[in-house]
Amino acid sequence: MLRYIIGRLLSILLTFFVVSVIVFLMMHSVPGGPFDGNDMPVSDAVKAKLNASLGLDKPLYEQYLRYMWGVLHFDFGVPFQSPGETVTELLARAWPPSLILGGSGVLIGAPLGILMGMAAAMRRNTWFDYVVSAFSTLGLTIPVFVISMMLIMVFSVWLNWLPAGGWEKPYSWILPITAYAAVPMATYARYTRSAMLDVMNKPFVTVLRAKGLSERRIIFQHVLRNAALPLVTVFLPMFIGTATGSIFVEAMFRVPGLGAYFVSSITLRDYPLEMSLILMITMMFCVAYLISDIVYALLNPRIRFGGKS
Amino acid sequence: MTAPVLELRNLSKTFQLPRKGGWFAGYIDHHAVRDVSLTLPRNTILGLVGESGSGKSTTGLMTMRLMEPTSGRILIDGADISALTPAALKPYRRQMQIVFQDSYSALDPMMTLARIVAEPLHIHGIGTPDDQTEQALAMLDRVGLHRSYGQRYPHELSGGQRQRVAIARALILRPKVLVADEPTSALDVSVKAQIINLLLDLQQEMGLSILFISHDLSVVRSLTDRVAVMFNGRIVETAATETIFSDARHPYTQGLLSAIPVLNPRDRRPRRFLTAEEIERGIPRLPGAGTSPALVQVAPDHLVEAVAG
Amino acid sequence: MPLVDIQNLHVSFPQHEGLVQAVRGMSLAIEPGESVGIVGESGSGKSVTCMAALRLLRQPPSRITADRLILDGVDMLKASRNDLARVRGKVASMVFQDPMSAFDPVFTIGHQIVETIRAHTDASLSTAKEQAVALLDRVRIKSPVSILNSYPHQLSGGMLQRAMIAMALSCRPKILFADEPTTALDVTIQAQILVLIKELQAELGMGLVMVTHDLGVVAETVDRVVVMYGGRVMEEGPVQAIFDDPRHPYTRALLNSIPGRTPGKQRLTEIAGQSPNPVNPPSGCPFHPRCAVALPDCATTAPATRPIGPGRAAACWGLQ
Repeated sequence: MLRYIIGRLLSILLTFFVVSVIVFLMMHSVPGGPFDGNDMPVSDAVKAKLNASLGLDKPLYEQYLRYMWGVLHFDFGVPFQSPGETVTELLARAWPPSLILGGSGVLIGAPLGILMGMAAAMRRNTWFDYVVSAFSTLGLTIPVFVISMMLIMVFSVWLNWLPAGGWEKPYSWILPITAYAAVPMATYARYTRSAMLDVMNKPFVTVLRAKGLSERRIIFQHVLRNAALPLVTVFLPMFIGTATGSIFVEAMFRVPGLGAYFVSSITLRDYPLEMSLILMITMMFCVAYLISDIVYALLNPRIRFGGKS
Repeated sequence: MTAPVLELRNLSKTFQLPRKGGWFAGYIDHHAVRDVSLTLPRNTILGLVGESGSGKSTTGLMTMRLMEPTSGRILIDGADISALTPAALKPYRRQMQIVFQDSYSALDPMMTLARIVAEPLHIHGIGTPDDQTEQALAMLDRVGLHRSYGQRYPHELSGGQRQRVAIARALILRPKVLVADEPTSALDVSVKAQIINLLLDLQQEMGLSILFISHDLSVVRSLTDRVAVMFNGRIVETAATETIFSDARHPYTQGLLSAIPVLNPRDRRPRRFLTAEEIERGIPRLPGAGTSPALVQVAPDHLVEAVAG
Repeated sequence: MPLVDIQNLHVSFPQHEGLVQAVRGMSLAIEPGESVGIVGESGSGKSVTCMAALRLLRQPPSRITADRLILDGVDMLKASRNDLARVRGKVASMVFQDPMSAFDPVFTIGHQIVETIRAHTDASLSTAKEQAVALLDRVRIKSPVSILNSYPHQLSGGMLQRAMIAMALSCRPKILFADEPTTALDVTIQAQILVLIKELQAELGMGLVMVTHDLGVVAETVDRVVVMYGGRVMEEGPVQAIFDDPRHPYTRALLNSIPGRTPGKQRLTEIAGQSPNPVNPPSGCPFHPRCAVALPDCATTAPATRPIGPGRAAACWGLQ
């Protein structure tokens, strides 16, 4: 097991390196630079001077090494679009709202989805099952900004219960988090239902019944544990994906989160911010996959103990 | 004297399995088939008998060159085919065909039975399309499926009927050798008898030679002229079928025979079971045998694995 | 009072092709300690009968009706979920065909035996573990403690089948339903498992229902035979009588088609035609389209099971 984890950590470092090189090259291969925008008419001389001050006149490999050297010392540079702060400070400011939005969305949506999926599987082919299926299909097919708009219409415009946007008061979090939770809930309801049904059709469940175990025990101890195997592999990566926030929900509800920076860092050629955001996400995904693989192995004796002895 | 239609000379297959204990532990050799030599005279049926893991199916696959032997030679009508390239092998493919136990997964579910049976003709470019269909329908008729079955699909058939289709497809090229790998094992008793009779009839009519791979000694007794018994990848005894039943010499053959369920409750008897180690220890000791186990002639046409003792 | 009392059992379930009439009027009575073999080909209804007896079929979609379906005095058709859980594993146990898929892959063998014991008794965890070791020892497993701590994927099919038998017997059931317990196993392992089941049946004095397609298995293990075809009982009687003097044409044909009965390479007496379509079974006797001695009546009306000798009965117009 330890050997396995060390191996995985090494492969994460390699992934990290490969991703950083590819992203760096692609970023710089896009034509234009941070000072080429039409709204910022500067003379070529000034542009050259600005580029030199940011080190953009140096050869690419040197720029890369300089940036990575900084990263190794937790210095992620200064964002071009907001030079008054470091990238680290920008993340510290803009990440928490995204994290709260995405994190609570998943933490609320996933368990609800799991419960719905379980209940649907246990009552398969009843009206309850059909309602859950219809609901999860809607949750996956209606775009999240449409869901956001409907929530705003109902709860802000008609009922006037909750604010239509902003992030100052915790109660203004309710609508965006609800909008956010729809996708994880629908995804989990589907995954859980099909994973549970898959297990419930296995011969060993009939054997458990034939032994005289109660239905409760069969479901909660045996079926759930087996169905959890495929579920853990989707949970953490999904959590990470959503914890970085949603551009649409943040835009709809005017949440001062990270989402907008993903777009602006690319359009404005904000190299340090773009690199930092992508490296951060890469790292989080790698770690998430590592953790979910370890959890999977711990739950699955076939991996824990290898094959036949 | 003409060469036997099929001859295997010192055929071996070694699989490399990863050794336990990590990355650099290397591989261990698993000898699935060791030094197997067999001859199948023209117009006879040879039973290759053993339990799972004995190497009998691996031997069948190597005979068809569907799996590459580690060493040894395969001769069809005296011609060595063990080193031929796929292109050079193609003419020989017409002369040897195989039927498997699970005919359902061996038949393309999207094709009509007529197309399935005609396909080998198509592959080898024999006859016009109309000819091919006509031959296929005649072959279906021959194996006991009315010509009207030509328009049906595999899922519409019972297990026994599917096995008939598989046999029709195998025999449409008029091969000299048919390898039949447990073709009756998944069938019900009454259907099993039908397929055994069909194979007997076809063998007579077409002058076919069959390598019949099976774990079922009762079927082997009704169907075969000679038997070769495999254990742990080796052939441990070969003789005429009735000799095996009346005068088995190797402890493994004796064990297999005693494991056959009785055919009348009156013959119930206590049994003794040998472990694999007891079998290895119980190898006959014969004067004139070598120091390591090898086949020794104990009677005309009766070979038994023995060591000097 | 018989231990198992099944009268006029009907089981059907919807499938792609239509409503499958798996069992059509099956009756079966088993006395305590008796061993009965239910023989039939696939689709004869033999396994479904056992599954229905323990109410292991999901309802719906399955439909189960019977005049009587009683196990050890418990009316299985009226039993609540809790009643069923008390009967299963305690009064009546079942051993299944494929040992490889019969255990939950994420728990040890020991865990699964112990939970069975603890579901029916108030044994402590340590007592239950000791009992599990004793059980594995009883099914002739050499190193019970290490098997107890093994996961299913670490064991061979034969070993798992022994463990499944141990698990089924853990609460000393009065009757064991064994559904093709050796079909998935190698020949020599099959012989060993049959010997084991027979020994344990005698030792524990329990009833045994051996469901199989293999007449050899029946000849080896049971006292009485029930031959099923097309969801109905064709013939039943003491095992020796059935083998010596089969009366029903289907039983006769079945015995004649067994390969390897006589020396020499030779054609077998086959039963022409095919098993009946369970969605659309033939009218009258299900065997009449394949029967060599069918009478006009056979195609129209199904014969009832009538006594034809001491302990024997058959459903055939030709015998009445």
